[in-house]
Amino acid sequence: MDTQATQLRPSHPNVLGSASPFSAALPFLALLLVGISFPLFGGGYWGVIATRACVYWVLVSGLNLVVGFGGQIAIGWVALLTLGAYTTSVLVAGNVTPALPPYLALAIAAVVGAIFGLIIGLPALRLRTFYFAITTLGFATIVTQVALAWQSVTGGGVGVAGPIFPEPFASQWGFYYFCFGVAAICTWMTANVAASRFGRALTAIRDAEVAAEASGIAKPALLGTVFLFSGAVAAVAGGLFAALQSYITPDAFTLDLSILFFIAILIGGRGSILGPLLGTILLTVLPEFAAPLVAWSTFLYAVLLLVIVLAIPGGIAEILDFKNRRPLESDRAIVPRPDLLERLLGAPPDAGALTLEQVALSFGGVHAIDGLDLEIRPGQVHGLIGPNGSGKTTTLNVISGYYTQQRGAVRLHGAALPVFARHRRAHMRIARTFQTPRIVGSASVLENVMIGGTIDGEGTFVESLLSLPRHRRDEATLRDTAMLALAAVGLERLAPVRADRLQHSELRFTEIARALMLRPAFLLLDEPAAGLSAEEIQRLGALILAIARSGTGVLVVEHHPDLIFDICHHVTVLNLGKILAAGTPAEIRAHREVVNAYLGA
Amino acid sequence: MAITRRQALVSAGAAALVSGLGKPAIAAKEPILIGYLPALTGPSSSTGVGINRGIQLAVQEINAAGGVDGRQLELITRDTQSDPTKAVNGAAELTHGQKVSVVFGPVNSGESLAVVPLLARANTPQIHPCWVDTLTDPKKYPMCFRNAPTNQQIGGAANRYVVEVLKRKKVAVISDTTGYGTASVNAYVPMLKGMGADVVYQGNVDAANPDLKPELLRMQSAGAEAIMPWSVNAGFLSRIINTRGQMGWDVPIVGQTTLGSGQTQALLEKPDYWAKVYPNNFRPVCYAAGGKLSDRTNAFLDRLKNAKIDMRDTLLWWIALGYDSPRMIAEAMKNVGTEPEQIVGYLNKLKEFPGVYGDIAFTADKHDGYPDNEVVMVEANSLKDGAFSLAPGYGA
Amino acid sequence: MVESIVSTGVAIGCIYALIAITYNVMFSASRVFSFTAGTLGMLGGVLGSLFIARMGMPVAIGFLLALAGGAVLGIVTEIVAVRPVLKSLDQHLYVLSTLALALMIQQFTAIEWSTEPQPFPRLFDIARGGFDQQFWLPMLACTLVIVGLELLYRHTLIGHAFLAVAEDNFAARALGLPERSLRMASFALAGVIGALAGFAGGEMLLAFFANAPMLTFYGFVPVALGGMGNNRGAVVAGLLLGLFQQAANFLVGGIFASVVVFTMFIIVLLARPEGLAGATFQRRV
Repeated sequence: MDTQATQLRPSHPNVLGSASPFSAALPFLALLLVGISFPLFGGGYWGVIATRACVYWVLVSGLNLVVGFGGQIAIGWVALLTLGAYTTSVLVAGNVTPALPPYLALAIAAVVGAIFGLIIGLPALRLRTFYFAITTLGFATIVTQVALAWQSVTGGGVGVAGPIFPEPFASQWGFYYFCFGVAAICTWMTANVAASRFGRALTAIRDAEVAAEASGIAKPALLGTVFLFSGAVAAVAGGLFAALQSYITPDAFTLDLSILFFIAILIGGRGSILGPLLGTILLTVLPEFAAPLVAWSTFLYAVLLLVIVLAIPGGIAEILDFKNRRPLESDRAIVPRPDLLERLLGAPPDAGALTLEQVALSFGGVHAIDGLDLEIRPGQVHGLIGPNGSGKTTTLNVISGYYTQQRGAVRLHGAALPVFARHRRAHMRIARTFQTPRIVGSASVLENVMIGGTIDGEGTFVESLLSLPRHRRDEATLRDTAMLALAAVGLERLAPVRADRLQHSELRFTEIARALMLRPAFLLLDEPAAGLSAEEIQRLGALILAIARSGTGVLVVEHHPDLIFDICHHVTVLNLGKILAAGTPAEIRAHREVVNAYLGA
Repeated sequence: MAITRRQALVSAGAAALVSGLGKPAIAAKEPILIGYLPALTGPSSSTGVGINRGIQLAVQEINAAGGVDGRQLELITRDTQSDPTKAVNGAAELTHGQKVSVVFGPVNSGESLAVVPLLARANTPQIHPCWVDTLTDPKKYPMCFRNAPTNQQIGGAANRYVVEVLKRKKVAVISDTTGYGTASVNAYVPMLKGMGADVVYQGNVDAANPDLKPELLRMQSAGAEAIMPWSVNAGFLSRIINTRGQMGWDVPIVGQTTLGSGQTQALLEKPDYWAKVYPNNFRPVCYAAGGKLSDRTNAFLDRLKNAKIDMRDTLLWWIALGYDSPRMIAEAMKNVGTEPEQIVGYLNKLKEFPGVYGDIAFTADKHDGYPDNEVVMVEANSLKDGAFSLAPGYGA
Repeated sequence: MVESIVSTGVAIGCIYALIAITYNVMFSASRVFSFTAGTLGMLGGVLGSLFIARMGMPVAIGFLLALAGGAVLGIVTEIVAVRPVLKSLDQHLYVLSTLALALMIQQFTAIEWSTEPQPFPRLFDIARGGFDQQFWLPMLACTLVIVGLELLYRHTLIGHAFLAVAEDNFAARALGLPERSLRMASFALAGVIGALAGFAGGEMLLAFFANAPMLTFYGFVPVALGGMGNNRGAVVAGLLLGLFQQAANFLVGGIFASVVVFTMFIIVLLARPEGLAGATFQRRV
């Protein structure tokens, strides 16, 4: 067994060559070295700029999780910088409360920032993208207005003095090292999150939300956690900003600054840590190279953003992704290994069927499904066929919780499945694939499959943040299981390849591998054979049969009658939302009405 | 971060200096670097743009006359864009990067608040024209001097005019939401009350608000007999003047100098609206009782005409202040050289620098150089060739 | 006091409504919200001031040129910021591309035109009275646009085509409608409406680059509240917003007024994300 396992480790030569963790860390180590030795060659002026870059990166590292990974267009994050700056300064100045030591003030600011990060971010769960973007802009304006109006606390337009940190951080270089240290810690923490199930789950929400839900990822909890973290970190950046400026007034917190943070992430590339880090440094330093550039700086940032969006949506990260420039083999074959399924799926789950009883659902005047009875038994393959518009996908969507039936019941082991809880289906070991593959294009195939196993992780977000042992155990297990799943469907050689480079058929098998990560009791496949070659359809059929043999109940919605008749134990034929016929493949093939309506002579 | 070209140049320059130690004549021809932090763009740039015209003219003249001890003055300009963050970056570059001898600016209070401590840490003498009271402190910032009036001086003159000359007891005080505006209101309301006036309205309004009628109606219903606006935003001030005119409300408007600027004038709906508007201004650049300007000012106006410098969209005193500042610095350097302690020592004993804009004087305990009696009130619509006449009832 | 609030409130509400209609017309043509709507409003005022006040052209010519400028910007938005990203799988790139374009134009205007508000010329040489032209010009513009759009959509072929593309993009293409040209024409129309808003509102708002972010936000509120693509809802919501804002200005004063407006906006939006009159959004799975 060990020899088999070692054959599946990603460090072995495969399509793209080995990807060692050291080479990924190299750019960070280089930056660390430059940063630590900076005082040796940079003068006082560049020291201020470098400190500023560190402070901005502290904020951007947290915002990166929200924008770059989570895909939420939070343009007005300067509000949290403002909050953090004022909270720290006011607490240290002691005009409202007795004067507090700066570190304590910074910690309190972090808590305030976390709370407000959540408040500002939560509308993302209810609002569409553009609307959310506008509300964040509104928040940024509001915070500035409040800072102006609340004169007794914030000093109004005159502002308040920034905190001074005690020695050894009071001098210019001392403070630089303090900010650099905080920036380095933030880089480490967010890199840990990026390489954890939380980071991958965020990218899934960003690019493939329906697939994320099907994998059990709860968007509110995850986004809420990330907003808390991002808000806290932004507020800490605010406290450091106030110390750097030595005096803060509301007019220092401009919308231009907010745009800078946001654009740094987009220029750097979404889903990357290194990219936005380089982006932040670039945007902080760029205006300083030529005095005339200062006036045009926001214009330049906007031009850069437009160029990136139109030409290189992946940003700096895409430019630096040398690994994925190497060409792939052209004649790749998908060769599943059904023998591995037993190790992957484990023991057969409890007996008990998934049944639909008289389920009906209409959209407006159209009866999508009308009085549908269906039973999927464990260990058996059930086919669902019918012409376009007959209700096949609707049925699948009802079972997986994306639509709610208006009449009838969907039962598992006799108990009714809860409505409106589509991300709970994964916990019930009901997995599915989609008519059009929903994958995270910019992530690797392996990462996409690992998304399927998100709910099996035990470590909390904080443990991932700090790379504690349980997080590392989770990652190792998840990685091994995902490699096994990829091997089972025949794609392990493509594990490190960026998913958007794959052929359509390979993406379909990737989705199956992802679904298998749940060790599903029931697997729902939505037109898995669409776009596959004849050879691939054969292999797909063998794979599905093997999955069923390990005890999973499989529902296959399909257009290819041959595949259905080859592998299904039962077949249901739908027409206009009603059952036209149901029975074994032999019965259906002979059924006169089915032949007339659908199969042809 | 790799060593930048600028760093390389600076070190190359230092190397050249060292190698040239045996030839003092070459070192003496090095230009004197003066750092300059104006806000030339951005929302609060009108002051900076006006001052800039004066500064450029003065530096040209000084250099044309041979500079200071044969050394040319070089202005190193860093536009702060009305942004305190950029002001800090600029100040850091001027001191650590360019190693200037003196810094003039920033010209906006919000930016100065952040920059003054930084320049103090960098041991660089600073002269700035910002009005907010807390911006000089001879003990905390011994190298920072102000060659303009303080908020107290300005407000004092305006408040005295309203209460004692115009004899209005019920006053409305209004500002925009900038640091300068809010600081002014906070300073002037107690001052008015101390003079026995009754502040019936006090408010900070967003300068971009297109309709100030509700505010003026509130002032009117509270019984205000005078309106005192404090803002450098021409749009805001013009809206106040226009609304008063539309309402046909006959009360004087007394306040910030920008009430009289060309920009404000351009935004008025009717020229007659500019009647009974009394901004602060400064005696040296105003017409005295006989309708005459001082010789110094006349000579200055001639120089501006020759240099084709436009005054119509700005204020004369801004240009004059800009003109005086490098001349004062050059004077200091002519007397004591360019070392920071020497310059500071000279300024601390400066009995009178006869500027076009005003006669500046400092002591070791007083770094606010503008004399009280040169702050005056003028009549806005008496504007002629850039200068104003004193407001009615104002003594000689 | 009340007449002041009402006249200013309705006037500025009409400007917000026109910007909302600009958003809606762009949305109908492409299912995309563009950040450039507020910028178009700003340019209407700036171009009007540039042509008439600074360059001395007659009012009518300056007006037409300002509208032409709006149309040009609308088309540029479509070509540069919308068309290239419609094809991509990532549905949210349009937010970024239109944001970038809007920022570029705003910054350029700030640096080249002025960072301070510049005077906007008096359009009609009538004496200033109680119900001044700065109030009825936006109202007139709004009425003309609403009536004009109604006529366009109901009685002209191209209007029907616009509606078809908005209703069902694929079906329209299948019928042979030239989708790309229609989209460009829609964006040009949106540009004209936006510029008209800024021009008509110029005497109130002056020619100021910072009108752009203000109109971007306040012009979007009626869209959000009235339902996307719903012009009638946008007009009603715009007027209500204008009145509410001016009332808040009067009751609580400048700084807090914007806090109040924004808080109300976000509460309403969280309660009804599809707007008060909009349809709920069904997601494709």
